[in-house]
Amino acid sequence: MKPRAALFVAVIVLAWLVWDTGADPVRLARGVPWILDFIMRMMPPDLRVLPAALLGALKTVEIALLGTAVAAVMALPLGFLSARNVAPGPVFYPARAVLNFFRSVDTLVYALVFVAAVGLGPFPGVLAVVAYTTTSLAKLYSEAVEGIDPGPVDAITATGATRLQILRFGVMPQILPLFLSYVLYRLESNIRAATVLGFVGAGGIGFYLQTYLRMIDYPAASTVLLVTVAMVMVVDAISSRLRDRLV
Amino acid sequence: MIEVAGLRVVLPPATVALHGIDLVVRQGEFVVVLGRSGAGKTTFLRSLNRLVEPTAGTVRVAGRAITGAGATELRAVRRQIGMVFQQFNLVRRASVLENVLAGRLGYVPSVASVLGRFPQTDLELARTCLAQVGLVHLAGRRADTLSGGEQQRVAIARALAQRPAVILADEPTASLDPALTSSIMDILKTINREHGLTLVVSQHQLETALAYATRIVGFRQGRVAFDGPPAAVTPTVVQAIYGAGDER
Repeated sequence: MKPRAALFVAVIVLAWLVWDTGADPVRLARGVPWILDFIMRMMPPDLRVLPAALLGALKTVEIALLGTAVAAVMALPLGFLSARNVAPGPVFYPARAVLNFFRSVDTLVYALVFVAAVGLGPFPGVLAVVAYTTTSLAKLYSEAVEGIDPGPVDAITATGATRLQILRFGVMPQILPLFLSYVLYRLESNIRAATVLGFVGAGGIGFYLQTYLRMIDYPAASTVLLVTVAMVMVVDAISSRLRDRLV
Repeated sequence: MIEVAGLRVVLPPATVALHGIDLVVRQGEFVVVLGRSGAGKTTFLRSLNRLVEPTAGTVRVAGRAITGAGATELRAVRRQIGMVFQQFNLVRRASVLENVLAGRLGYVPSVASVLGRFPQTDLELARTCLAQVGLVHLAGRRADTLSGGEQQRVAIARALAQRPAVILADEPTASLDPALTSSIMDILKTINREHGLTLVVSQHQLETALAYATRIVGFRQGRVAFDGPPAAVTPTVVQAIYGAGDER
């Protein structure tokens, strides 16, 4: 009876969602020709803008790299402070609350704030990546610290090791590969997030995409899109290969 | 070698794990601690090197008080006490040799060791200890690529590298294939006989305990229920340690 009631509620809610968002398959079907027209007008890509697109892509990668690197370090103390098995209650609960607060805002929203604060260009983009990534990495770090196996820590403690030695030989070998793998994972997401930062004036390839779309220069925009796809795929491939080596 | 007086351990929130234990272990003894799970065996062993903090009572090892010792003295006493765990507790991603070298951490300067620098004499000692457990050919392998029995032997080598006066082993064979039990216990027996090391080993297998121990200490509900030579372990004694089948 209970699962059936849940199913009934779910159907009601979904029906309401369809109605309230105006979701309409017929409208989508009617839009298909327009999508095809859009794609046709993008062909062939205008390769004259390739140098500009590549420069934009490079800037996007730079924003993501610098932002992720700074965040990876800044997240370290926060990560330990919000780990239940390390931080005492009076530290842990506020630290977790701060993390959850800042993490609930997306990189793009931070970019809007920082563009207003420091002006246009890649720099507010870097700041936005740092703001979001620091808190999201800190959350991942803290979970890695909480998942630590106490066994090796006990064993190193029992040898008469100092606190520093226990950290280095009992704790770090367990968490370091995880930390690095999380940083690479965040880097991959940040590359994707950074492609749209240009839309709000925070630098990178998104700026070119938005400019060409506004100028209704679809062949140029398609070149930018293709470069974006290639950039994301290359970074993903490198990053996932590095992550495989860490395990 | 080990002097325990009035050892009482209350685990949070309010479980009395040990109710005032008095026990003296002499140099060179091979003590096997028996008892049901939950009888206090692990807590007893872990309070001997203060991995568990005693609530009351004193523990002295090799003539030095470990209870009440400050941080520096505590580490100095811990160096004298090797420990072998049920789950081996090796650093899985480190090499076999690095794991054995960890046994030297109490002796080397903290900063140098953190940078991975160990004296040449320690490297040689680590190899000697590996040879003692018959694994010197695996020195360069990553610890987690070894079988369970091999990992436990590495853990014993790590304890030996401390040049300890005492080795504590908490159910060292419980996670292993029964066929490997005797190989691990034989190594411990050799260490005990040839180096005169004092051993305190907890075991849940009665037959193994009787075969290797020079002295049996039976725990029941946080108290010593029996203390004597293996020859004195009669069915009545077994009953006293393990209780009737329907109890608890």
